[in-house]
Amino acid sequence: MFNSKKFIKEQTSYIKDLVTGNVISGLSGGVDSTTATIMVHKAIGKKLLCVLVDTGLMRKEEIKLNTAYLKKLGLRLVVIDAQKQFFRELKGVTDPEKKRKIIGKVFIQVFDKVAKQHKAQYLVQGTIAPDWIESGGGLRDTIKSHHNVGGLPKKMGLKLIEPLRDLYKDEVRMVGKAIGLPAAIYQRQPFPGPGLAIRVLGEVTPQRVAVVREACAIVETEIEAAVKNKLITKPWQYFAVLLPVKAVGVHGDIRAYNDIVVIRSVETLDGMSATYSRLPHDLLEAISVKITNHLKDDVSRVVYDVTNKPPGTVEYE
Amino acid sequence: MVDNGGQWTHRIWRVVRDLGYETKIIDNTTPVAELDADALIFSGGAPRISWEAPKLGNCTDYLEHFEGPILGHCVGHQLIALYHGGKAGPADVPEFGLMKIRVIKDDPIFKGIPKTFTVWESHNDEVKSAPDFAILAESDNCKIQAFKHNKKPHYGFQFHPEVNNTEYGDTLIKNFIELA
Repeated sequence: MFNSKKFIKEQTSYIKDLVTGNVISGLSGGVDSTTATIMVHKAIGKKLLCVLVDTGLMRKEEIKLNTAYLKKLGLRLVVIDAQKQFFRELKGVTDPEKKRKIIGKVFIQVFDKVAKQHKAQYLVQGTIAPDWIESGGGLRDTIKSHHNVGGLPKKMGLKLIEPLRDLYKDEVRMVGKAIGLPAAIYQRQPFPGPGLAIRVLGEVTPQRVAVVREACAIVETEIEAAVKNKLITKPWQYFAVLLPVKAVGVHGDIRAYNDIVVIRSVETLDGMSATYSRLPHDLLEAISVKITNHLKDDVSRVVYDVTNKPPGTVEYE
Repeated sequence: MVDNGGQWTHRIWRVVRDLGYETKIIDNTTPVAELDADALIFSGGAPRISWEAPKLGNCTDYLEHFEGPILGHCVGHQLIALYHGGKAGPADVPEFGLMKIRVIKDDPIFKGIPKTFTVWESHNDEVKSAPDFAILAESDNCKIQAFKHNKKPHYGFQFHPEVNNTEYGDTLIKNFIELA
């Protein structure tokens, strides 16, 4: 069985021996990157500078919330606003793999700049097993290029530190718990590195990201309320996706012709195989009503995804 | 664990480790002389059995020269059929995700497992015929879901016991390892 205490001990002493000079960490505030960062912080302390990138593709209030709790963890943190850069590079791009590669490239551009100022040679990433497995390479087919693996530029100046590379999400949570992270962090639902860009199918524009951000917030609020009221157990991951097709609706006797939002919620141990969540109809209906009312100018229809993995994947791109 | 480029190779490694056995993932190009194992598991992978079998590296060599038990998953299962004179090719009905299988012949590998159970599948190809094998399990769409060679300790599963959603997956892998 996986032994998180032993793992932390081995990895921190390995990192301590490996590293000379300064280190930066690219962290989003999610379970993986935060756990990896805390491990490195434990190993090398003040030599670590953490970089939270505001991509413009994060969820509602997320940069603010994450900044607060990362600082509370005692990390030295800089927040870099790179929203314009991400949206500029993503303009006109619809191919999911191109999106992922652009996002990987822009992340590294931001990290390179900070590394130079901080005179760092190493970059910490929260890469976990599904990231390199799904990114493919050699015999393994590319399912998705994860921005932190398959999305990295070919030429990299920074050397990578990825202590969680062989772990799955359930094991990362055990490490997070053992290393003393608050439950609110190690139990957080996963959020993909490329952020809302891969939940907006088709072109990523600030306007479409704003729509899916609001839809995701509604899905999260409703589901978390149902969990709190003990109507359901917490799904592994739950979110909204904005499709690049429209459907007809009727609003106050007037024709509407707006986008379609998918509700996606899955159950899995490790993200490598999954079933869709059996959410109660009343809950799905409440989400649907909220989304179609709050976002009436953008969304005319809500559907629920009943695809397992395989043949589907958890996210859409 | 012989890696044939599967999405779940590392999952097999994890299940075997969690069962408390020593385990290691090796490339399928590892020379047979360098094998240091009591048993081998061939992972599944992206290669299509009819026209990409060379991508399965030295797996055929292992079947020829490795003396211990071998278990093939998915494309590994299909290769074992081919090696022993069976046939494999594109499935009439490919299966992805949830499927029910039925055990049709008793075998120690199914020890402690009910006659029907849910498995996770992910295959475009299938075994068409396996004359020198005992066929152990089937699904509605695929008649050769599990087999065992009549003489050699070679087993094959078309489905994926290593996937967390497969019922009794850990037991199946444990049963196989205990044969070694």
